Amino acid sequence: MHHAYIDKFAYQDSAIHRLDSRVKFLVVLVFTAVVISLPRSSLSILVCYAIGPFALLVWAGIPLKFVFKQILLVSPFVLVLALSCPLYDRTPVAVSFGPFSWQSSLGWIRCFVILGKFVVTMLALIGLVSTTRFSDLLAGLQKLGLPRLLIIQLGFLYRYIFVLIDRAHHILRARAGRKLRNLGFKTELRTAASMLGSLFIRSIDTAEHISTAMQARGFDGNWHTISKLQVRRCDLIFVLTAAAFISGLYFLVKPVLQ
Amino acid sequence: MHMANELLSIPVATGALAIAGGGLGLICRKVRQVIAADKLALMGILGAFVFAAQMVNFQLPAMPGTSGHLIGAVLLAIILGPHLAAIVISSVVIVQCLIFQDGGLLALGCNIINIALVPSYLGYFLYRTITNGRFSSLKVYIGAMLSCVIATETSAILVAVQAALSGVLAIPLSTFLITMIGVHFLVGFIEGLVTVAVLAYLQQLRPDIVADSLPGTVRLSKNAVLATLLLLAVLTGAGLSLLASDLPDGLEWSYAERPDQPEFQTIVSNPDTRITAVDDLQSKYSLMPDYSVRASKHGDITGEQANTGAGWTSFAGIFGSVVTMVVIWLTAWMLRRKQAL
Repeated sequence: MHHAYIDKFAYQDSAIHRLDSRVKFLVVLVFTAVVISLPRSSLSILVCYAIGPFALLVWAGIPLKFVFKQILLVSPFVLVLALSCPLYDRTPVAVSFGPFSWQSSLGWIRCFVILGKFVVTMLALIGLVSTTRFSDLLAGLQKLGLPRLLIIQLGFLYRYIFVLIDRAHHILRARAGRKLRNLGFKTELRTAASMLGSLFIRSIDTAEHISTAMQARGFDGNWHTISKLQVRRCDLIFVLTAAAFISGLYFLVKPVLQ
Repeated sequence: MHMANELLSIPVATGALAIAGGGLGLICRKVRQVIAADKLALMGILGAFVFAAQMVNFQLPAMPGTSGHLIGAVLLAIILGPHLAAIVISSVVIVQCLIFQDGGLLALGCNIINIALVPSYLGYFLYRTITNGRFSSLKVYIGAMLSCVIATETSAILVAVQAALSGVLAIPLSTFLITMIGVHFLVGFIEGLVTVAVLAYLQQLRPDIVADSLPGTVRLSKNAVLATLLLLAVLTGAGLSLLASDLPDGLEWSYAERPDQPEFQTIVSNPDTRITAVDDLQSKYSLMPDYSVRASKHGDITGEQANTGAGWTSFAGIFGSVVTMVVIWLTAWMLRRKQAL
């Protein structure tokens, strides 16, 4: 299996990794909400807010190259919509930045603010998921009140994503080895449909085997885990620091930057 | 099509989160009563199947270099029923957000509604209504095709409406809608074709799996496909031209109106006073903190001088933040080097 590339950093060890997953999740949620509610015209406060997740990522030892690659990978939809802003909003504004000042339009400012918010919230989200194992995150979410059925569903899904992606890779490789040119839409469609169909049938068969095996071992629809979740002193310190950072920037720095 | 945090305002995002959470909770409770423990593994693995299926791409005609793939909500809804499909696709959306960072944390509510809940229920309902009664291959074809196209278009429209309600984008709703509907017409058509083809394949190989929804053989004929494409193209074109003539042109709007937020409210006529109140508050207190709006032809010198002060504070803010980040990075680098030695 070649799945180790997407969340391999969650299995490292650092002070950030050892924090309680509930605490991290809630802090990132609040952080995202605050960043989104920032004014739509100030770019500088966004850069200030970026310090928080940046420090988190660096402390946890996540390579920045990986982080920015990941952000770039998910950006196209936002990028297109953000770039449409300068086309539709041409109210001229004078922008001054340090010793420079120039003419620009409101649309460009909006565009950069949207992109800035995107990058900052993505930094926070990547900071959460690349320092927390998915199983810990699920246990935390269950403690926070998500329905148990959904948690079991997510657990199974995560367990088998990489198995099935691997299987899809095999099928794709087999097709690439046999198909040397474009076969025309009808044949292409038929091939893809049989690939998908056989993948579907194999998934269902796998599921049957697994549930037989699980029932033989006493699975009754509940997951029993050794829960290690507890809020310790370092979690409290983390929450207090994060609260001080978020509210300090919001109430002290934001008015100055305006 | 994943909605992002930045395109939403807080009221819209939290409202959607509440609706999606409540809906999912209800569905989970309902499913919990009817489902046996041995179906749990099946649901999980079908979620993983959706991921794998999105990797199986195929070339599209007339557009070299582009390829299409299955989305899967309607296919699962037809085979598994809407409740299970809704849960499976919701879990896929959540994993896409948490592991692949596709779509933001706050936008999760919108994404669950747009991608999971609406297509599953709408698709299933349409398919069942059309294929009701005596089995015929044509009915299955029309049912699957229509449910795919309509479900995809509905979620595309929802994306546009949610973005417009939030008022973050400058792009007018009419233009946004026309683009989204136009693009997703093709997406929905391809989705419908693949769905029918996969259903036909499954019916041939494992009729037991699809016995509920497909009691007979399905065949996909070339003429039927061409006829549908033509019909759908005419319908969508007619709809789009109606939409385009109904609503004023995009550029006119942004020139005629103060382009902050209100242009959307005039189109959507959003009666919610809270949203207007939030917008007012935001425009009163935080509009243009370091950028001043003025007409470019009046070279107003006093305005320029007033600006330079604001320019320096924002410069200091950005400069200070960047320096802090560099310091953090260097400290971590040095500490790690020390550890390694």
